[in-house]
Amino acid sequence: MIDQRIFEDLQTKIDEETTVRDVSRPHPRLRRACPRIFFRAKPDRCAQQSSETHLREQELHEIVQTLARKGRSTQAILARAHSTPSDKLQPVLDDATASIIAQKEEVARLRSVADKHPFYKYNGLWSRELQNLVASIELCAWLGGLPEHKGPDSASFMTIEDVGKFLDVPINLKEQDAFHLTIEEYLLALIAMVEELSRLAVNSVTLGDYERPLQIGNFIKDLFSGFQLLNLKNDILRKRSDGIKYSVKKVEDVVYDLSLRNLIPKGGATA
Amino acid sequence: MGTKRSWQGQPVTMQNKSDTQSSDSAGPTISIFEDFRNELDEHHDRRERIIKTSRDITALSKKIIFALQRVRATNNPIPANIAKENQTRLDQIQTLFTNIIPDLTGINAWRYRSISSGIQEYIEAISFEHYLRTQTLITHAEVCERLPAGIMVTEEDYLMGLFDLTGEMMRFAVLSLSSGNAAATSTEPTETEVTDAKKQLPHLAASQADLVVDLRTMRAGFEELSVPRKYNMLRDLHKKTEVMQNSVEKVERAAYGILVRGSERPSGWTPDLSAAVEVEAQ
Repeated sequence: MIDQRIFEDLQTKIDEETTVRDVSRPHPRLRRACPRIFFRAKPDRCAQQSSETHLREQELHEIVQTLARKGRSTQAILARAHSTPSDKLQPVLDDATASIIAQKEEVARLRSVADKHPFYKYNGLWSRELQNLVASIELCAWLGGLPEHKGPDSASFMTIEDVGKFLDVPINLKEQDAFHLTIEEYLLALIAMVEELSRLAVNSVTLGDYERPLQIGNFIKDLFSGFQLLNLKNDILRKRSDGIKYSVKKVEDVVYDLSLRNLIPKGGATA
Repeated sequence: MGTKRSWQGQPVTMQNKSDTQSSDSAGPTISIFEDFRNELDEHHDRRERIIKTSRDITALSKKIIFALQRVRATNNPIPANIAKENQTRLDQIQTLFTNIIPDLTGINAWRYRSISSGIQEYIEAISFEHYLRTQTLITHAEVCERLPAGIMVTEEDYLMGLFDLTGEMMRFAVLSLSSGNAAATSTEPTETEVTDAKKQLPHLAASQADLVVDLRTMRAGFEELSVPRKYNMLRDLHKKTEVMQNSVEKVERAAYGILVRGSERPSGWTPDLSAAVEVEAQ
């Protein structure tokens, strides 16, 4: 004899899973301890609940989509850096900062919703967009934007602590189950920035700026040596960080071309 | 890569951090990344421990299932020798689960879902045992009771375990249909009179008929579930559904075969199980 209720209850649970029906609902893990009420839940009651409110994943999806849309405009603004000489960069940085701050508000919204759920259960939904945002922040900071958010004693880039402080999100939480920026996300963002900078090195030369490729070269070699310290397993981080060496080479080629032709400004190489 | 660079006049001095930018940042960058390395190492180590535990649990559960396939009667206690054999395996599984709890608490419960495959296999084993003993499905709550408190059993795990259970029930049904009925029908014609023959219209033994009905009910139950397409947790639901449908059909066909041709088949004949490999392969 198969108990039909088992399947009804599973359906209830699946419906529940996709639904935010009650903001004050206890956390799933807390609920584990108490009797599993949903095994007795009536399907019609559940249907009523799901029509009452919108879907949980949809709510997250909607926030992430907004974040992505704003992220694309941030990236479009930052892309102007490729065709703007460094002395005229300030308006670009101002626009980019404004756009990043708009994204920051979305992150705050995301955090408030995501905090209600187990972090790693839904992390995949927003991880990509958060990485893009952090990459934009890093790039903007490297170009001279967001100066007040760079830690005083930190390296030439914003550390994960700086980024966390700027975005007002915790970083690398290990005990507490709450929204945060993970180390992997941060490192992937750095890699994205490195790729963007290697492109910028080429474009700087086109703009007549022979100094910036050297700065970029030094900077990404520094990061590269950092990444070489990591023991990476066969995962996404490994795949992406393998690409850094090509970025390094791309910039080195530019520097080589410039130095070969004596185009590197004297004394400017160390700026 | 990048350690030997002799491409221009300056490289040696640049590498030796003689220029300001490198000497400013090399220190901090290295120490920052050393921290990252430690964090990532911790993560990878934990991940590997969990994967290993999950594999061990899967292997033990499979052995339990194999042993249970030797049981011939449903709705009875498991025979003592098999029960004893499985108890040691169940104890080992409990120990494995208990030892891995520290790696799966708090935020990590959802981070390392690789334990899930072990849990699913374990559910398959205990639900099969539960079915053989009681001819009912184990409930989610009962599954949770049979695991240490720190192990989270998601509905997905439970559902996937039940899907796999249908495969085991299929194997069990097909085997018991052939062996069980063989005894029943081969002896009966010799004992029965011609007048009894009509009453003796072929029918399945009650427990075997139950198996077919139960599998059919489960199939209907599975098929009735509506899972939103975006539900990312149930990725292989589709594949599992197909395998489950195949299993049920196989049992239905085997039951038909036994019923219609049962008395004609040579002794020792078993219904075609060749396609069962498919179930094991996934």
